[in-house]
Amino acid sequence: MTDISKIRNFSIIAHIDHGKSTLADRLLEYTEAVSKRESVDRMLDSMELERERGITIKARAVNFKYKADDGELYDLNLIDTPGHVDFNYEVSRSLQSCEGALLVVDATQGIQAQTLANAYLAVDNDLEILPVINKMDLPSADIERTKSEIEEVVGIPADDAPAISAKMGTNIKDVLEQIVKAVPAPTGDSNAPLKALIFDSYYDSYKGVVVYIRVKDGTVKVGDTVKMMHTGANFELVEVGTLSAFGFNPKGVLTAGEVGYFTASIKSIADTEVGDTVTLLDRPAEEPLPGFKKVLPMVYSGIYPADGAKYGDLKDALEKLRLNDSAFGFEPETSAALGFGFRCGFLGLLHMEIIQERLEREFNLDLITTAPSVIYKITDKKGEVRYIDNPTNYPSPDEIEEAAEPIVKATVITPTAYVGSIMELCQDRRGTFIDMKYVAGDRAELHYELPLNEIIYDFFDSLKSKTKGYASLDYEPDGYKASKLIKLDFLLNGENVDALSFIVHADKSYARARRIVEKLKDNIPRQLFEVPVQAAIGGKIIARETVRALRKDVLAKCYGGDITRKKKLLEKQKEGKKKMRSLGSVELSKEAFMAVLKMDE
Amino acid sequence: MLKDLMLYFHIPFCISKCAYCAFYSSPAWDSKLLERYTDALTAQVAAFDNSEEYKIVSIYFGGGTPTILGAERLCRVLAAVKERFCIDSQAEITLEANPKTVDETGLRALKEEGFNRLSLGAQSFNDSTLRLLNRAHTAADFEECFASARRAGFDNISADLIFALPNENIKMLENSVNKLISLAPEHISVYGLSIEEGTPLYLRKKEYAFPTEEGEEAQYEMLCKLLGEAGYSHYEISNFATVGKEARHNTGYWKRIPYFGFGAGAHSFFNERRFATPASIADYIAKASGGLLAPTDYHSSKPVSAAEAEEERIMLGLRMKEGVKIDESRVPPIIIKQGLGVYQNGVLALTERGFRVSNTLINMILS
Repeated sequence: MTDISKIRNFSIIAHIDHGKSTLADRLLEYTEAVSKRESVDRMLDSMELERERGITIKARAVNFKYKADDGELYDLNLIDTPGHVDFNYEVSRSLQSCEGALLVVDATQGIQAQTLANAYLAVDNDLEILPVINKMDLPSADIERTKSEIEEVVGIPADDAPAISAKMGTNIKDVLEQIVKAVPAPTGDSNAPLKALIFDSYYDSYKGVVVYIRVKDGTVKVGDTVKMMHTGANFELVEVGTLSAFGFNPKGVLTAGEVGYFTASIKSIADTEVGDTVTLLDRPAEEPLPGFKKVLPMVYSGIYPADGAKYGDLKDALEKLRLNDSAFGFEPETSAALGFGFRCGFLGLLHMEIIQERLEREFNLDLITTAPSVIYKITDKKGEVRYIDNPTNYPSPDEIEEAAEPIVKATVITPTAYVGSIMELCQDRRGTFIDMKYVAGDRAELHYELPLNEIIYDFFDSLKSKTKGYASLDYEPDGYKASKLIKLDFLLNGENVDALSFIVHADKSYARARRIVEKLKDNIPRQLFEVPVQAAIGGKIIARETVRALRKDVLAKCYGGDITRKKKLLEKQKEGKKKMRSLGSVELSKEAFMAVLKMDE
Repeated sequence: MLKDLMLYFHIPFCISKCAYCAFYSSPAWDSKLLERYTDALTAQVAAFDNSEEYKIVSIYFGGGTPTILGAERLCRVLAAVKERFCIDSQAEITLEANPKTVDETGLRALKEEGFNRLSLGAQSFNDSTLRLLNRAHTAADFEECFASARRAGFDNISADLIFALPNENIKMLENSVNKLISLAPEHISVYGLSIEEGTPLYLRKKEYAFPTEEGEEAQYEMLCKLLGEAGYSHYEISNFATVGKEARHNTGYWKRIPYFGFGAGAHSFFNERRFATPASIADYIAKASGGLLAPTDYHSSKPVSAAEAEEERIMLGLRMKEGVKIDESRVPPIIIKQGLGVYQNGVLALTERGFRVSNTLINMILS
């Protein structure tokens, strides 16, 4: 049994690119939990996509030993957290499993909005926060300023914060010593009824669902029958253990304070929800751990196979993805324009992009996705409330008593130089100013109430371009607000294309309609006839462009009896034609369709 | 009964490379190389198997600029053909020529040997354009060449013209068309300039003004109209002719009459196979003198399948005003509705507007 007083459970909180994964590597490397060579493929980010985007999508945990200066051998558990606003709840459950958190701040960039949001989460979870100043090796590093910023913004002392270079491996030992000294040992009674928090789970094709837990009280071992206190599911445990940098370490038992995993031939990840409490069936805890929340999608989009024949493949792929991601939901839908597909729900935009990319990459599918939508709350004339996640189902104006849209509380942290343009942007995106604080001299923290609908449109990109990437954004849902919403429809050659419809605030409708109509005009290939492109509200046309008829082909000369070029050209065109989608009488490539939906200004 | 066969001779030499040309040709040659190339051609002709099975209905010397070989060598090649093959008395024997590469004496000798049709590259009658295109002649040079061809007895002359040229407006094109009409060639080929990647024109295209799409459309319509009024029939996608002077060789390509190509980079359609000799002068000469005359790709080429042959028949047949036989069910109604084609008596024929989008239409029919 592990001595609880020698256990240290901690997370690393950092903004993208501030060095979280590199520091994790160095910690493991320093304690020889992993060799230098292996650490090239940063241990904690195991999905290809995560590595590319430099973010961690699913929480993981690694157990390793450290012999401290006091001569004692400590049992360290590093619990990785997803670093993005879409995964807020998962982050909070990971933090719940720790007693401390390293707050890694880039000495050249200072604190960013996501870091701050996660730091606040850590404070809320009563974690001991240890600031770490990274990238001290860079010439533009300003260690003192970063320290005072941490003190001012997060409100924790930073005098003793180690200044390190994760990249160069400088002062890594200082960090380990801090963890051992400052992070409290977990508390808990190994003899009490079992209470273990699920902070992550994933589907493994050999073991079934692998469930990550933090044992708060009690003991859990192979052969025990456990019960999930919220879902009510029961399982007999097949494997119990910890995770080292090298993989599973099935030691058979976990006691209070420990972090590890279990398997039980579980088929569905839906039975092991993040935040649920695991207890023993024959000696259950009286009540579950607090804070369980069912995660609900906030953003919806239609996903269709570019080739209609691949509908079955898409369905299989979605089912496989859901094995590992209970936050993501889908159900079949049909579109007159796009055929058979699925309405999919996501936690946020990033989550959506990740799922779409995984479908295309891991399952080799060619997809058409419709514009993302939020869930609108519609009260009809009879007083009935409906939630609409698909513009196609949006009722006609005369049926609506009141339309409401989801609102978020947004925090933007920015160098003060950009405050003006950010305020302009938020204003333009129908934001309501709440307050602004100046922090650490030349930076400001702005709070706004913003419609989620605007955020999923192009807020991130606009913020990035207006602030050269220096501002950061975090948001959390904050209920519904009545709004002047209308549905915009688009007609090609006089025919309504359902897949292009979307809901927009009345004040934005004209500009948005113009923009899309122009994009359609630029992206629809010339047809043999003139194609009017129109935007309409109800039956009323509010914008129009025309795609002129095709008058001239690219020709391949057939000189000297050489018809090979011509044949090749025709072959190529035939291939291209196969990929064409008919939207009514108009043929459109997938690329053209996607370009229209791409939300750049 | 003898089978119809057409022969093609590829002469890949030029005085200078035209700025828009993406075809295989070499501006670097001397009389020794020309001599060896001529020897290789005659050797390949002499080595042709089963020549007695065929009746030659057309012979075409294309390039490059075939007249660079000189009248004497051209005559030698034609003599070799006459020696080896049975040539139909009505056969069309065409020689491509550019101004300043052949004189009246030479033309007389060629006419004497049996060449009965000339295809002359005019391209434009505006000297500034000709310079820009790096053509090695002026408009006056062309007119002089044309006159000497007439004096030498050629009564079947074709001239090439290009529209949508850089720095040319519609007035300038009209000038070219009218000048050409006044010379009264029997046949006129018209091409819209296409800027091929890798050509000098492609590299310099930013320096020039090209007609807009509407401008190009107007140019095309204007020249179709002027040529029509002057009595030329738009009998093929890029060709106009006076009655009875339609090019038999090109028409043969579209009707899938077999042809055999001699020379470096020449294409053949023979025994239901399509193949080409490698486009290297040195290789060709080396192989010809070593006795290896069969085009290297011939044996590796697969016969054209029945399905492919049918696609070819439609794709090539639609180049001609007379159109192709095709079942009504295969004709997309939009072609007729939009006035891009006419369907009558089981034959689909494209209109002048249809010619301009023929690829799209062929594609619609074939897929």
